[in-house]
Amino acid sequence: MLRGEFFLENTLLIDKTLRSGQKVNFAGNVVILGDINPGAEVVAAGSIIVLGTVRGVVHAGADGFKKAVVLAFRLLPTQLRIADHITRPPEDEEITKDNFSPEIALIKDGMVVIESYEGNLGKLLK
Amino acid sequence: MGEAIVITSGKGGVGKTTTTANLGTALAMMGQKVVLVDTDIGLRNLDVVLGLENRIVYDLVDVVHGNCRLKQALIKDKRLEGLYLLPAAQTKDKTAVSPEQMRNLVSELKKEFDYVLIDCPAGIEQGFKNAVAGADRGIVVTTPEVSAVRDADRIIGLLEAEGITNPRLIINRIRPKMVRTGDMMGIEDIIEILAIDLLGVIPDDETIIVTTNKGEPAVYDQNSRAGQAFRNIARRIMGEEVPLMNLEEEGFLSKFKKFFGFNR
Repeated sequence: MLRGEFFLENTLLIDKTLRSGQKVNFAGNVVILGDINPGAEVVAAGSIIVLGTVRGVVHAGADGFKKAVVLAFRLLPTQLRIADHITRPPEDEEITKDNFSPEIALIKDGMVVIESYEGNLGKLLK
Repeated sequence: MGEAIVITSGKGGVGKTTTTANLGTALAMMGQKVVLVDTDIGLRNLDVVLGLENRIVYDLVDVVHGNCRLKQALIKDKRLEGLYLLPAAQTKDKTAVSPEQMRNLVSELKKEFDYVLIDCPAGIEQGFKNAVAGADRGIVVTTPEVSAVRDADRIIGLLEAEGITNPRLIINRIRPKMVRTGDMMGIEDIIEILAIDLLGVIPDDETIIVTTNKGEPAVYDQNSRAGQAFRNIARRIMGEEVPLMNLEEEGFLSKFKKFFGFNR
């Protein structure tokens, strides 16, 4: 079993942008090839990966899986939840079209942290 | 066989009815046979904007319920040969017709007309479902406000669910000066979120208020910038390639230079 520790067994693949009012609920990981727009919501028991921009609400590890992560090309969520942690982005942070990089949100030392993602999940825990 | 296009937005007050009236008028000016269908039952406005209120005898609900023939309810425009209006009922509500009945009605109209423009009510309930039922294509109208863009996004998702994929976008009431100073969302900001094809941009224009109140669409006014933008969009609907117009308002100096024949 090569699953690793950040993901559950089942994964849902969505090949479109989620628009306002659309909600995805899945008892596993969710991968989205598109954006999550404001007013859209993704709730996953496992991790969430977005090949696009997150502007809506994401909840990874919704059933209490604390190792769940949220990984996106651009992370600008309305609200980001992992397991029983709820966070929202700082009010003063300005992210423009050009200054962004892939980021990952995960629980570290009992807190949700967001770090830039450089292609290696394993080293994030060290 | 004509084409049925629903004009929708989710949010109220962004200019659906004004857009419907102007695009219909512009298409008819280009020789197309056009019918405008007001589906805002109980809150009809399209007749007022077109200045046809006092000619209504029968309405959409009468047609659907068989109280009159379709031809009897169609109101011919007072200025243009090829333009007709099917007004909404004012004394009923949205539940007076069903999506199935609308589908039949629109397919009847498509036999007679080149374009059937359906003016959708605000909201996402039955009125919306009725309006989109018979449509082949969709036009989403929004203004450069976060709330309007949010609702437009929701509507695009709902249109997809109803089988209307790839709707096109009209951004209404843009103020170039405010966009330039960063006080208003720009075209790119809106397109980035909604990610659909842009059909046109209408500059904020006071003449619209005047023409709308007079019951005379702005496309008749050759000096109205909004009227010009609507004429361009009508040409794009007919498949012509028309570049986006320059939205910058003409300042005193450029008018002055133009007057004396200087090229900018």
